[in-house]
Amino acid sequence: MVATSHDVMPDIELYQPADEATALDLADRLGNEGWLLGGGQDTYGWLKDRNKTPSAMIELTQIDAWKGITENSDGSIEIGAVTTLTEIAKNPLVQSRYGLLAKAASIVASPQIRNVGTLGGNLVQDTRCWYYRRGLDCYRAGGNICYADSPEGLNREHALFGASRCVAVSPSDTAPALVALDATMVVSSSSGQREISAQDFFVGPDRDILHMTVLNEGEILTAVRIPNTWANAEFYWEKVADRNVWDFALVNIAAVFKTTGGTIEDSRIACGAVECVPRRLTEVESAIRGQARSESTANSVAEMATADARPLNYNNFKVPLMQNLVKRAIRG
Amino acid sequence: MGEIVRYKRDVWGEEVILGVSWDLLYVVFMAIVILLIAHAIVMAALAKKNLDRPTGEGRRVVRHESIDRAFHWLMAVSILVLIFTGIAPILGLRIAWLNIHWISGLILTFLVIAHIIRATFWQDFKSMMLMPKDFAEPFDSSRKPGKYYFEQKGMHWAVTVVVLAVIVTGVLMLMQINTPFWERTNSMPEDQLGLMFLLHGLSTLALVALAATHIYFALRPEKIFYTRSMVSGWMSEDELAANHDPAKWSPKEAD
Amino acid sequence: MAYMHIGKDFTPPDVPGKVTGRIKYAEDYTREGMVYARLLTSPIPHARVIDIDASEALAMDGVIGILTADDVYPDGEPQSTSLKILTNEPTLVGEPILALAAVDEKTAETAIAAISVTFERLPFVLDPLDSLQPDGADAYNGGNTFVFRQGFAGEKWTADQVASFRAGNEPTAEPQQTVAYGDLEASFGESSYVYEGTFTNAGYPHHSMEPRSALAYWEDGKLFLHGGSQSLTAFADGLAGIIGVPKEDFVFVNAATGGGFGQRARAGSVPVYGVPAKLSQKINRPVMMRVTREEEFTIGGARQGLTGWIKVGFKPDGVMAACDLWIVSDNGGKGGGADAYSAADCISVLYQADAVRFRGTAIGTNTAHRGAQRGPGQNQIAPIISPILDVAADELGVSRLEIRKINSAMTGDVGGPQRTPFTSAYMPEALEQAAAAFDWEGRQSRRRQTNGSKVVGLGIGQGYHNAGRSGMDGIVMMGADGRLKIHNGVGNLGTYSYASTSRAAAEVLQMPWESCDIITGRTDLHLPITSPQDGSNSIFTNTRTCYGAAQDMLTKMKEIAATDLGGDPADYDISNERVHQIADESVGYSYAEVAQRAMDLGGKFTGSAELPEELAEWTQIAVSRLAGTGFMGIFHDPRHEGNPPGFTVTACEIELDKETGKIDILEMVSIGEAGTIMHPKGMDNQLVGGAVWGIGLSAYERHLYDPQNGLPASTGYWQSKVPTYLDTPLKIETGWVDLPDPENPVGARGIGEPSMGSVSAALTAAITDALDGHIFGASPITADMIINHVAGTTEEAVPLAQNNFRG
Repeated sequence: MVATSHDVMPDIELYQPADEATALDLADRLGNEGWLLGGGQDTYGWLKDRNKTPSAMIELTQIDAWKGITENSDGSIEIGAVTTLTEIAKNPLVQSRYGLLAKAASIVASPQIRNVGTLGGNLVQDTRCWYYRRGLDCYRAGGNICYADSPEGLNREHALFGASRCVAVSPSDTAPALVALDATMVVSSSSGQREISAQDFFVGPDRDILHMTVLNEGEILTAVRIPNTWANAEFYWEKVADRNVWDFALVNIAAVFKTTGGTIEDSRIACGAVECVPRRLTEVESAIRGQARSESTANSVAEMATADARPLNYNNFKVPLMQNLVKRAIRG
Repeated sequence: MGEIVRYKRDVWGEEVILGVSWDLLYVVFMAIVILLIAHAIVMAALAKKNLDRPTGEGRRVVRHESIDRAFHWLMAVSILVLIFTGIAPILGLRIAWLNIHWISGLILTFLVIAHIIRATFWQDFKSMMLMPKDFAEPFDSSRKPGKYYFEQKGMHWAVTVVVLAVIVTGVLMLMQINTPFWERTNSMPEDQLGLMFLLHGLSTLALVALAATHIYFALRPEKIFYTRSMVSGWMSEDELAANHDPAKWSPKEAD
Repeated sequence: MAYMHIGKDFTPPDVPGKVTGRIKYAEDYTREGMVYARLLTSPIPHARVIDIDASEALAMDGVIGILTADDVYPDGEPQSTSLKILTNEPTLVGEPILALAAVDEKTAETAIAAISVTFERLPFVLDPLDSLQPDGADAYNGGNTFVFRQGFAGEKWTADQVASFRAGNEPTAEPQQTVAYGDLEASFGESSYVYEGTFTNAGYPHHSMEPRSALAYWEDGKLFLHGGSQSLTAFADGLAGIIGVPKEDFVFVNAATGGGFGQRARAGSVPVYGVPAKLSQKINRPVMMRVTREEEFTIGGARQGLTGWIKVGFKPDGVMAACDLWIVSDNGGKGGGADAYSAADCISVLYQADAVRFRGTAIGTNTAHRGAQRGPGQNQIAPIISPILDVAADELGVSRLEIRKINSAMTGDVGGPQRTPFTSAYMPEALEQAAAAFDWEGRQSRRRQTNGSKVVGLGIGQGYHNAGRSGMDGIVMMGADGRLKIHNGVGNLGTYSYASTSRAAAEVLQMPWESCDIITGRTDLHLPITSPQDGSNSIFTNTRTCYGAAQDMLTKMKEIAATDLGGDPADYDISNERVHQIADESVGYSYAEVAQRAMDLGGKFTGSAELPEELAEWTQIAVSRLAGTGFMGIFHDPRHEGNPPGFTVTACEIELDKETGKIDILEMVSIGEAGTIMHPKGMDNQLVGGAVWGIGLSAYERHLYDPQNGLPASTGYWQSKVPTYLDTPLKIETGWVDLPDPENPVGARGIGEPSMGSVSAALTAAITDALDGHIFGASPITADMIINHVAGTTEEAVPLAQNNFRG
């Protein structure tokens, strides 16, 4: 018999390392038992409801090396993973060069959550499928069933693309922005550091149904590097959620364009909340290359964006919504 | 049972079977490796006394028709693909395994059905029959078998049982996922679903053990001519004479 | 009329405590030796408890004891659809099965997980229409409906009848209830525009910010219970019965309440307070029971979901000729309500139709507890009827404001199936005031203007609720210090009505507010009975009692003065906290002196004799304890005549983005018509707070249940989509008609509930307007529904369902 009474924090060890080496060592030593704690916005619910039961938390927010926004000599910027979303949204450098990310960070959840929530946390947060969040032993929780993808499942917020047994979506607002900006994720562990492109950082259920990212046990996302390739490009960001505050996207879109004389030379477009990973619209990008950034170009490719969509019972609306957002992004 | 079966809570919080404990995979793997190494050592120790190995030279007889060889290898490949794609995520490999897995599973299913039909109506079914008297064969070096010796028959039937178990449970599990042919349902109660996963897992473990054993013996020097015959179809008359009783199996001469 | 207090802003005494956080809610109290209780609730939508094995939990360190339904109901559980303290027959996921007490919450929670409960799973149903199918499951043990004084019963339709209703047709089954007036057929015959269609309302939860946590302990044979409620004495009166403790031995402490919205007005909605009370009694320790957000969702109540068919006919001039309404109500796993009837009543009152027929059937489902929520029925029908009026207006060439004016309720009119006259009604004035404040006519040029993918919609809507009761008691006291103590049992819900109504007593005695003390917050301060604080009644009901008690004190003051100082009581008046002769103001007593004289005299002056005969038992206990302690004014309020309505009118302008389905409310004006306004700031709060609720009803709030397993999917604020700050207009302009009602001594009526209905009506009308008159026939209308409509998507058209809103 499962207890349905929740909302009480269990006993748990709390580690508060102040330097990188200690944190990485702890992550290595504790493995899956060591829950990485950023702003805690995707932590306490899990733990208080006892749907995730790690024995320890490793708080990362005291490590200065993983905080803040710095400019590199090549013009790229590096954002520490435990930098708060508020800081990113308000940072002059981010605002001036990568307004797309500033905007995406400024619309995550609510002001209170952005004040404590970190970029790393927003990127590696778990999916919001309510069945999974309820603590049910579904595929994503290591079980053998998906409750959302069934003839009657409540899946209004679920995936159009890339479902494989699990139909959950990526809830992050900053992830599509970073994919569009061609960012790189810096992943550290006690055995070293590796860099992964933002696009490859996220993983779908076909490849790994238990995780949302390619982070291995003992690894920590420590920074995000944004190349200057798309600095000061033309940006488009929009999030459509049920509510204007404190909601996850029904669909969001992040797009960057390089144009000359109104003609699109290059672009990168990514949509969130339609797949388990931010969905890059490469076919659309190819199709609009050399085209005017106009209403007619937008209309001509909108359906292409959803060509592979497989709507579930209640999320048909995401198809026209995604098409509309693609149109809005392209026509600017 | 705790180490063999994994349990989970069903949607209403009651404990149901989730599937096999994949820790067993390592247990099975280690057990097989140890057994086979032990076998190899024993065989190596005995090897000196057994130097008069039959030669593959000379006249050849047909052991496996090309169609049978094709069936064998197609089944072998699909089983190996199934095992690899099934085990990869357990080992933590991030590959998109599911589609390959169920497509291979369907191929295997069709192959097995076709093989059963062929074997029943067009092949020498009796040659694979395991009779009570066959059980004396391993203990009596004077008794030579027909086309298949005791261990081969044993392996075949063990694989048959296990593969049928994986197929039946696999097809039932396939009904629970989306395919181009149908949309998934949650029509199977969670306890039954768990049982399917358990049986599929257990038979997978058995299959892993059998496949490892089969491959090991296929590669053993004294048996490798059987493997050759599964590739090229023939064995030499010398090999035939040394290992089989012509009274029980008289194959036609190879071209 | 020039008032000293009425219609003037003031700071209610609990405001500083709320602003600073010093005020105490139930969870803020502690008691020496206190232990913590946690609930084990049903994980299954419909089940029977076969066995409870708590041995492992009870053996844990720090675990004190458990309480089960067998402890609470040794003679068996009451057979009804009411919530129980604990149950062995859960009919919804989350219904409390047992409680466990431990030295701290963590231990309790850990121990709860070690308890093994064996359930027998029973068939469950989430949609009343599914239950009405011939082979449909029944939500209760013994049927899918509960007949008063008869018990459980099964109500079934034929499969064709259900299918036909789902397809949008008038139900042909026999309703459980039919109420009608007027000649329906003839009235439809006179109609030149008739609308007919089906509709659904999601029955979403109350979501009180403060959950149903409570602390209970027993001392000297008395039960002390700290909890939250909308009402104080009315609630305590009922709760004593539920717990089974004599009224005189029960002390209910409730200084502040974090929201109620209808589901904490009456004790029957909060029997879970019996858990700490009974557990404390069993283990002989003070017990704090903290209820979680999810538990609050489940047992904290939800609005009834309605699935209906409506037919409305309008004469050529726009007069509503007839309305025919057939509603299947969702009674949930526990509780129920009369929302459907109230919906019909509301249409009758607001639009004064010549003929109205209501037919209704209420069916249980294995979903959250149902009960009255802010404007139960009136507010569900508001967003349904309003767009119909607009489409009719456009069809008939009448302006949308005009069609509402010509159908308006006015003083002298009657309303509802009972044809009850209004005590007063000023709807045309409210409509005109709203139209003027909003510049309704001036804005018409903006109607349906487009700007890229955005289109402007204008909406106007009306709200109604019966807003006043009578028959309660009032007590005021005065000691030798001359301060007026107003004993008020209304309850502190956050509306400040406990303070506003007390001002009527201060007004009568011309007492400076600084010299008044409101005695409230705990029942051992001896408070009179009040009506439960629901139905927007408090202002009307309790200004009558406070006014009456003060009048009694005033009469007694004059009597004492006349006896002592000569003359006739009629020769006396009051001013500046003195009772004095009219002719010579120097002859008189200060209030302190007259209070002292009253105490010297005793008898009727101190509540020791000549009490009103009709005093409620609860009041009698209070009076008996107060008797002789001070100068008492005591009053039993006789019944009033007629229906005191609370009316509101809202106008709004929205911008709807056809590509994203999002709406932006650009402007909103809400006008109240509630008689004399007691407390302008409070009135403003009611109108603005109601507006947020109305926005939630029309566009956001939802009630989700997984159809496969009966699990609730919207247990928290996030999944329920309670509107946020940025979903509401930056400013909601408010105003009021402020004309007195003759049935109230200060002219006041209530406003709480209609303030939500008119906003919902206006907002839904504006959405319909922006979409060229498309009627969704649903609340809420969410972004996905708008996107689907604009895109012409039909795949997602889910049949009528109340718990899983149409996406």
